[in-house]
Amino acid sequence: MISISLTVNKQVYQVEVEEDLRLIDFIRDKLMLTGTKEGCGEGECGACTIIMDGKTVNSCLVMAFQAHGSRITTIEGVAKDGALHPIQQAFLDVGAVQCGFCTPGMVLSAKALLDENEVPNRHQIREGISGNLCRCTGYNKIVDAIELASSYIKEGQQDETSSSGRQ
Amino acid sequence: MITKCIRPSNLEEALEQLNQQGYDGKLIAGGTDLVIEIKHHPYEKSTLIDISRLKELRFIEIGETEICIGAGTRFSDIVNHPEMKGICAGLWEACSSVGSPQIRNAGTIGGNICNGSPAADSVPPLLALDAQVIIKDTTKTRTMPLKDFYIDKGKVAIEANELLYAIKFRKPKKDEYITFEKLGLRKALAIARLSCAVFISLGDGDKIEDIRIATGAMGAYPQREEALEKLLIGEVFDAPLIEMSTQEIFNIAKQRLGSRSSAVFKCEAIQGLFGKALRRAAKEAKSYDFHQFNS
Repeated sequence: MISISLTVNKQVYQVEVEEDLRLIDFIRDKLMLTGTKEGCGEGECGACTIIMDGKTVNSCLVMAFQAHGSRITTIEGVAKDGALHPIQQAFLDVGAVQCGFCTPGMVLSAKALLDENEVPNRHQIREGISGNLCRCTGYNKIVDAIELASSYIKEGQQDETSSSGRQ
Repeated sequence: MITKCIRPSNLEEALEQLNQQGYDGKLIAGGTDLVIEIKHHPYEKSTLIDISRLKELRFIEIGETEICIGAGTRFSDIVNHPEMKGICAGLWEACSSVGSPQIRNAGTIGGNICNGSPAADSVPPLLALDAQVIIKDTTKTRTMPLKDFYIDKGKVAIEANELLYAIKFRKPKKDEYITFEKLGLRKALAIARLSCAVFISLGDGDKIEDIRIATGAMGAYPQREEALEKLLIGEVFDAPLIEMSTQEIFNIAKQRLGSRSSAVFKCEAIQGLFGKALRRAAKEAKSYDFHQFNS
């Protein structure tokens, strides 16, 4: 066993893990955060996407011990204070979820994209989710949802500015 | 089976550990190939040495005449670099075509080289740039041409106690350009079925002062097509020359691929792929605005 210390969804963990454990197995089986899905196990489908130190990675291609010292966000850490993240809300509003298996990965790829580029065009959105496969092939609605999420995030910021302006 | 994991905190410690573990030690960086191997196949080595967080291996140095890239540099680092696209387009294009955003955020250029895959995207452009690999062990640093680094499929000229430190190549000048073309089964996440990089240096009257051609997935490992290069150096770049050279690359592919099931497809496809890379390189070399990246 090897000892690792890392932050997952703002919570610090200090745990012992098996040497041959992958990060996805650590997240799903040890932390019981089963929102992260395993699809292909080879980095082709993106269902296991997480955000690690600000960048999306396939958690099926990282060894758990390599995550020592890192900051990780999984789908469970995206909502804030019980309120859905604007991206999650937009996926619901557009109906961008079919079977739902790819959705956690799609939301995290969208989040990483919108964190870097607040108003991406449709081409940039497609590029941003190019590492995530949707077996139900609902790509158009997913792209629509990310566009809508971008506007929700912008509106949210405006609301914050205007409300602070009123104080 | 993996029974031991080591996280060295600097390069010196990594080299020490590599030396101590001997044949049992295996370096892991991005893990995008290795983790699949560990998970899905019986793995012969017992110790992983994680070099993914070593800052000393993650750099892009653009000098007056030379570019040096640390082996631990991620593909996204190269793709997002403000100058790389302008200075060496073909290498930038190849790095952008690797896997997906997730793979590019983890995968390193050194891992791509050391895995020895015939389809490694970044290798044909590095070969066409005549890159050198810088290899370190605990006592010494040695440099060798990348083209001599490949021995066979999955096999590279590196000892168990050695680590690929960096890759360096001469910075392309005015009238020089490098391109990369790849055929994959789909746009994202495609493993190259075939790839080709062309570096060209054009002189007065479109004379080819120098040319370097490299192919990927056309044989056991990525390689330079030096026989073809020799035919082209000193010639004037024109339509008949393009026709002659695409015919020649067909002959080379046919001879090399023999009776492999992919031979018929690849012999046909390499002509188009190489022709495209060659024409684009020549066109860009002519119109190359040197000051765009040297100002």
